[in-house]
Amino acid sequence: MIRPDAELLLEINDLHASVEDKPILNGVTLHLKAGEIHAVMGRNGSGKSTLSKVLAGHPAYRVTSGSVRYLGRDLLELEPEERSRLGIFLGFQYPIEIPGVSNLEFLRVSTNARRQNKGQGELDTFDFDDHVRERLQVVQMDPAFLERSVNEGFSGGEKKRNEILQMALLDPVVAILDETDSGLDIDALRIVAGGVNQLASPDNCTLLITHYQRLLDEIIPDYVHVMAAGRILRTGGSELALELEKTGYDWVDQQLAAEGVG
Amino acid sequence: MAMTEAWLTQLPDPTGALEPVQRRGRLALTEQGFPSRRQESWRLTDLKRLEALFQLSLANDSSHVSIPDSWPTVPEQALRLVVNNTNDPLAGFDLPEGISILEGVELEQALGHTLSRCQCASEWPVELNHGVNQQILALRIRGKVPPIELVTFATDAMFMPTRVLLLVEEKAELEVLQVVIAKGHAAHSHLLEIHLGQESKVQHGLLALGEGKESLLANMAIEQEVRSHYSMVAVSHGWSFGRLEPNVVQVGGQASSSIHGLSVTAADQQFAVHSTMRFEGPEGTLDQVQKTVAADRSHSIFNGAIQVPRQAQRTNASQLSRSLLLSGRARVDAKPELQIVADDVRCTHGATVSQLQEDQLFYLRSRGITESSAASLLLRGYCKEVLDLLPLDAASRWLDGALPEGETNP
Amino acid sequence: MTSTSTRDLVSQPYKYGFVTDIETDKIAKGLSEEVVRLISSKKNEPEFLLNFRLKAYRHWLKLREPNWAELGYNEINYQDIVYYAAPKQQDKKKSLDEVDPKLLETFEKLGIPLSEQKRLSNVAVDAVFDSVSIATTYKEKLAEHGVVFCSFSEAVVEHPELIEKYLGSVVPSNDNYFAALNSAVFSDGSFVFIPKGVECPMELSTYFRINSGDTGQFERTLIVAEEGASVSYLEGCTAPMFDTNQLHAAVVELVVLDDASIKYSTVQNWYAGDENGIGGIYNFVTKRGQCRGVRSRISWTQVETGSAITWKYPSCVLQGADSVGEFYSVALTNNRQQADTGTKMVHIGPRTRSTIVSKGISAGQSSNSYRGLVQVGPNAKGARNYSQCDSMLIGDQAAANTYPYIRSQQPQSAIEHEASTCRMSEDQLFYLQSRGIGFEEAVSMMVSGFCRDVFNQLPMEFAAEADKLLALKLEGSVG
Repeated sequence: MIRPDAELLLEINDLHASVEDKPILNGVTLHLKAGEIHAVMGRNGSGKSTLSKVLAGHPAYRVTSGSVRYLGRDLLELEPEERSRLGIFLGFQYPIEIPGVSNLEFLRVSTNARRQNKGQGELDTFDFDDHVRERLQVVQMDPAFLERSVNEGFSGGEKKRNEILQMALLDPVVAILDETDSGLDIDALRIVAGGVNQLASPDNCTLLITHYQRLLDEIIPDYVHVMAAGRILRTGGSELALELEKTGYDWVDQQLAAEGVG
Repeated sequence: MAMTEAWLTQLPDPTGALEPVQRRGRLALTEQGFPSRRQESWRLTDLKRLEALFQLSLANDSSHVSIPDSWPTVPEQALRLVVNNTNDPLAGFDLPEGISILEGVELEQALGHTLSRCQCASEWPVELNHGVNQQILALRIRGKVPPIELVTFATDAMFMPTRVLLLVEEKAELEVLQVVIAKGHAAHSHLLEIHLGQESKVQHGLLALGEGKESLLANMAIEQEVRSHYSMVAVSHGWSFGRLEPNVVQVGGQASSSIHGLSVTAADQQFAVHSTMRFEGPEGTLDQVQKTVAADRSHSIFNGAIQVPRQAQRTNASQLSRSLLLSGRARVDAKPELQIVADDVRCTHGATVSQLQEDQLFYLRSRGITESSAASLLLRGYCKEVLDLLPLDAASRWLDGALPEGETNP
Repeated sequence: MTSTSTRDLVSQPYKYGFVTDIETDKIAKGLSEEVVRLISSKKNEPEFLLNFRLKAYRHWLKLREPNWAELGYNEINYQDIVYYAAPKQQDKKKSLDEVDPKLLETFEKLGIPLSEQKRLSNVAVDAVFDSVSIATTYKEKLAEHGVVFCSFSEAVVEHPELIEKYLGSVVPSNDNYFAALNSAVFSDGSFVFIPKGVECPMELSTYFRINSGDTGQFERTLIVAEEGASVSYLEGCTAPMFDTNQLHAAVVELVVLDDASIKYSTVQNWYAGDENGIGGIYNFVTKRGQCRGVRSRISWTQVETGSAITWKYPSCVLQGADSVGEFYSVALTNNRQQADTGTKMVHIGPRTRSTIVSKGISAGQSSNSYRGLVQVGPNAKGARNYSQCDSMLIGDQAAANTYPYIRSQQPQSAIEHEASTCRMSEDQLFYLQSRGIGFEEAVSMMVSGFCRDVFNQLPMEFAAEADKLLALKLEGSVG
């Protein structure tokens, strides 16, 4: 939903970042306003996933220049947990398995960290139990998964549902979903997409990072950005995704070649 | 102590190129004295059998070792050298391109270097070899060379010391098979050093075959520089008393090592494998599988140390020890030792001791195979996994594909 | 999260490090046959016990301190230790009200209230202060069930026949250097006897407190479960902070008859020394249980977080057919601590089974070793063992060693061992952090997840305690 007067939530300006001294992002500029859904598309290695990791504060990525402002503050100064508590959410492409750590406890601790930040007060074990069961419906997840270790032994689809469940619990302001559709069959994709749509509101924004059009059939973006060689090459509406589906990414190479990059 | 000294005094005087080594070795033996079961690495050893080595006659240039004509032919292009303490293994050979003799100052510098890097230069069996060995086969390997088969043979209650040094240069590639054979209560003391230069590649096989009453002491020191690949496959069978000690060190990390072993014991034999793998640099890998089969009243020992000091970050090592006990009187001792200081490493090890799998036996029997054929079939399969890894087609040439049956039958 | 900050150790102050100011009856430092006789006479012991001590002492003189564990510590001067120290009071009090309030206060401060109003409702406690037991709760209630739970000294007086029968029957007085020393000079400890068919109605617990700076603690615990009996027992330990090292050399013997079971849990939090390795307890302990009867069971669970040096291998001798031995261990070392711990499972009887789960966590510049032996004898047909040893390293200065020794003489047995060493994965930490969980909390969640299999074995009341203790010990060692 595009509203001209909507609040600017996340403002990425000329962001450069590298991993092990290898530059991956080469000047990304992206502005996300309340109520908007953005999709970033591009081939493997274009820098999409790096962008999401940098926004969440992964320690392996180093920002070399540029800025990211979130609700008026410098996001890059914050620790990963501080970002989460303030409402930045990253849905992982490959959710991490943590043997021995109970999923329920993990969800409770992280939810309470976010709630405290919002001044909502912590939920005790019983209240949280009710709360999480209610939220489970967003992704139609079996409560049995709460009793298991974090993501351990989950199938690909179950892991992704668990990610969206976390999103539903953490109620983020900026949700970044990294390849949330990868490894999902069509039913699971619908459930996950349904969850994302349900959670999108005029007060938050969503950044979908994806490879394929098929997720965008389920979640209609307001903007589509094509990323290549670490920057945004083109921006358009949801029709751009359909065009990409038809024509592929070959024009990207031509444009990069014309600019003398890539 | 007295026994060691008495034995040393009746040895011929040190001579030849290795004279200083012999002197130092004898001195060290006197100082160390005979191994004791109080020392951890000898705790399980039947020292009587070690003592018995002193009763054998030392092979030297006056001994006569006749080469049997029953040995299989060497594969085309491969080079067979017969290594013993009695004559020059290179006599009458034109070495192919890339293989040259290491002599003079070069030899002096290389000799013992890898032993020290592997921290095994003063182990008792090494000093024993130092003390008596008169000859060394020392080769430099450049580029890709034809495969080498080194055969060592002893018979007639002879004590046969041998020593080999291989200096494998940067990017060189070598396939080497050692066949160590003994008959008639003979004993071998073998010392091997291999230095792998950067990005070099060595496939090393050891096929050690006794006839049930013989003894084997073999120490192998392997030094790997960065990005080198070393693979060892060691198969031993038929030794009344055996001790095989592979020591591998990756000096700069980023190298890969693989060690596969199979030791088969029967009757009242005792065979021990003491392996040490040390990573001195980052990003090294190890894949180690040690299999043992112990039948009758035999005793099989495996000690496998893996050392990962602080500088060896991102090491990835796995060690698996699998033991099969075929009889109620056989004994297996397995002792992995992992010493890890680096925090960013992946080290796994596993050990199993069991008998042949009942469900596998049952499956075969349900297809009409008798229990004893089923058992020997399974056993062959268990051994074959290692035998097939030997280079130069060793298993089919030397063994017709499988270890001799009979004593290994359950 | 970088490696420099990982090394940035801020040690959590040891909260049990206070000293109780109390008048003590101490004998002079040093060890001799006279001292052994003096200890025995102070406790009015029967002759068989004095002979037991003397035999052990004479044997000890012939032994050498073991060094195979490769632990590095200052040489122990056995003549510089006080072998008997007891708070001054006349005899053991009949009622708790007569116990010196300072002592009660000490235990209350340690979280072990002994007075009738405050004591734990479902746990009977024997409180040992330096060399003597000062109080045992719920004795009468337990006696109604035929359960004997008292200090070792009392047991010697009241049940000499049981002591004579079982003392040294599992750990002989000449078993090893420290066991021999303990057998010569032990001063007190706990005795538990569960008669035939009785399921002990409450948890039993002994709390050991070392108070004096120059006193060694040599306690002796003996637990006997007769046919069909069962008991769950827990020991806890703390000591004040001194910049000298105190020696603790205990012996624990368990005897289990047909169909009986003993569950023995330890939460060890002796003072570990400061971040430079000054001070701390030298903990050299021999613990062994004997499954004498058929279908008997011994389960050791230990959470080892304290001591400068830990040397301990709680073991099971599985004699009875179908008997079961278990060992669950968490050992955490930080700063300069050294732990060498593990177990021995000796399979003698047919179809005996054992399980070993060991979790080692090493932080700081500490060293943490698992050393274990699984031995299957020729008659243990159908014996099975499963072992799992995992190590976690925090920081690049800590060491984790694993020495799992396997010995088998029985083809119809199965021994399986798995081990792994890994570090706390940066990706896992980041995942937790990206969900708003702070770094330290993320670390402690992962550590307790890593240890969960072991904590699940602890009695309920103590599992949470152990979790907290671990978090406390690690605080500041990462981040």
